[in-house]
Amino acid sequence: MSNLDHGKFTRVTTLFHSLLGLDVFLLFFTGYAIMFNDELWWMLTLMGGASGVTAIHRITGIGLVALVVFWITLQVISSTGRSNFAKILPAKDDVDAFIQDIQFVLGRVDERHPSARQFAGYKADEVPLLSYIGKGVVFIFSIELTLLAISGLLIWSKTGLAAMFQTKAAAMAFVTFHGLLGVIMLMGVMFHIFEHGMHPAFYPVETKAFIPRSMVPEHHGDDDEEPDTTGIERLSLSPSWRTVSTVFGAMTVIGIVSVLIGSIFDEGYPVPREIAIGGGPSSILLTVGINLGMVVLGVGLVLSMYGNVLRIRWEQQLEQEREPTTAADGGEPQTDGGQPESDDTEN
Amino acid sequence: MSTGNEVMHDGVMSTGEDARIFPDVEACIDCGGCVVSCKRTWDVPRDEQRISIATMLEGQEAASGLNASSGRAMEQSESPGETAVPMQCYHCSNAPCVSVCPTDSLISKENGFVRVRDDLCIGCQYCLSACPFGAPQFPDEDEGVANLVGSGGNMDKCTMCEERQDVGKGPACAEECATDAILVGTPEQISDELDNRDSGTFFNDVAMDIIFGEDASEFQ
Repeated sequence: MSNLDHGKFTRVTTLFHSLLGLDVFLLFFTGYAIMFNDELWWMLTLMGGASGVTAIHRITGIGLVALVVFWITLQVISSTGRSNFAKILPAKDDVDAFIQDIQFVLGRVDERHPSARQFAGYKADEVPLLSYIGKGVVFIFSIELTLLAISGLLIWSKTGLAAMFQTKAAAMAFVTFHGLLGVIMLMGVMFHIFEHGMHPAFYPVETKAFIPRSMVPEHHGDDDEEPDTTGIERLSLSPSWRTVSTVFGAMTVIGIVSVLIGSIFDEGYPVPREIAIGGGPSSILLTVGINLGMVVLGVGLVLSMYGNVLRIRWEQQLEQEREPTTAADGGEPQTDGGQPESDDTEN
Repeated sequence: MSTGNEVMHDGVMSTGEDARIFPDVEACIDCGGCVVSCKRTWDVPRDEQRISIATMLEGQEAASGLNASSGRAMEQSESPGETAVPMQCYHCSNAPCVSVCPTDSLISKENGFVRVRDDLCIGCQYCLSACPFGAPQFPDEDEGVANLVGSGGNMDKCTMCEERQDVGKGPACAEECATDAILVGTPEQISDELDNRDSGTFFNDVAMDIIFGEDASEFQ
């Protein structure tokens, strides 16, 4: 198996990824329509105005809690879940790879650690499928989503929270925490969309999160022997990649920076006026930048759906290529170069 | 706009732009007249009130010699004993509710009134958490979408009778108060009136800074 087209997730994981993505995108769109209401006035209106947007946010919030509970339960009760969890736990190799990568960036070493050389043409027996970066993404998003869900549930009723902690300051602290964590996660998700959508080998979307590993063949050769290479030399760069990735990369950077600046300069939620360093009316540049950030999220949503379309196409292709073991009439299957039988009544 | 003292009730010294509203706790006798006049004027629902009278230390005697001087007792860090405080939106200069409102539904107008824009309010209740005076109310929290998703519904609070002030009348609660316990005027007028009555401000420095901003120095 190569590291280029590997499927490293189970069917449940790929399905969960799609559902989680859809739910989180809805939470982002509603949460940021509230937070950056000046800049995203159109989004607020599209989602049913002030009361509609908070209703969607809370209902999808419940969806997130349900998904998190489902996932934790699955990890605990299934053997696959437990073994998968063991595989993403940080190990010594991950620490070594991280340190060597830092040294590589600083020019102290000549090459990256083998555990961090994904997609560089190595085969699976040479380089692990999951690098410390992949593990980091899983852990960072898991922790962020859990904290966002807990703080979101706590601030659902501000009066309830104040009654629980006997102080209004506690309610506002959780509100601020929820908002700032949302900003941090938004920046991470934007980068996540960029890195998995604009990778030159997989552009326009990396399919490993959509096509489960059970559907990915060990290799694509015609014979049964293990090929010598990963097949990276047979890939060709999409003609539009350079332009699209440059534009999308710029939009990602502008979006991330604008959301960060907006959250600091916009007085009000989640940073109260007293500790906001900017304040005052939003500038046109900030409005454009934050809207670009939302476009990046929108592209992410489209790519997520496109990933599922690719999975369906992949399934259809596998179905077409599958050779029946027995013909419908009980004779030998057709193997003389003609189209394989599609009748699979005995399969 | 100011219409002069001569046509006004004693507690209402000036109205309109820059007019502030502030209680004289020594004068308040917890009669509920302000609550009734507000409800009657604005048709406030049964379970809601834009002004309420908070009774503190009910049935308790103040520190020696301070039983009729709650404000002085507070200044001296002594117990003020039973004290009735008319609580409403004081239209703060440094309004925390405006600061935390995520949708800019709450605004500080140039004329000094803190106003709720109903069409922007999403019922998140952050203003309720931020306001130290308990002014925000959520009368629609059991209706429609608010009931479905558990939000607060549109926020409602004291408007300081801006519409009445626009035509030279004082806020209904202040006009109706039998003991002139609710003072309306400029910070200087309110401070002078409290001095004339030998009443303290009752609120601590933090609250005074929130309510009056730089004008809090008038009360020192």
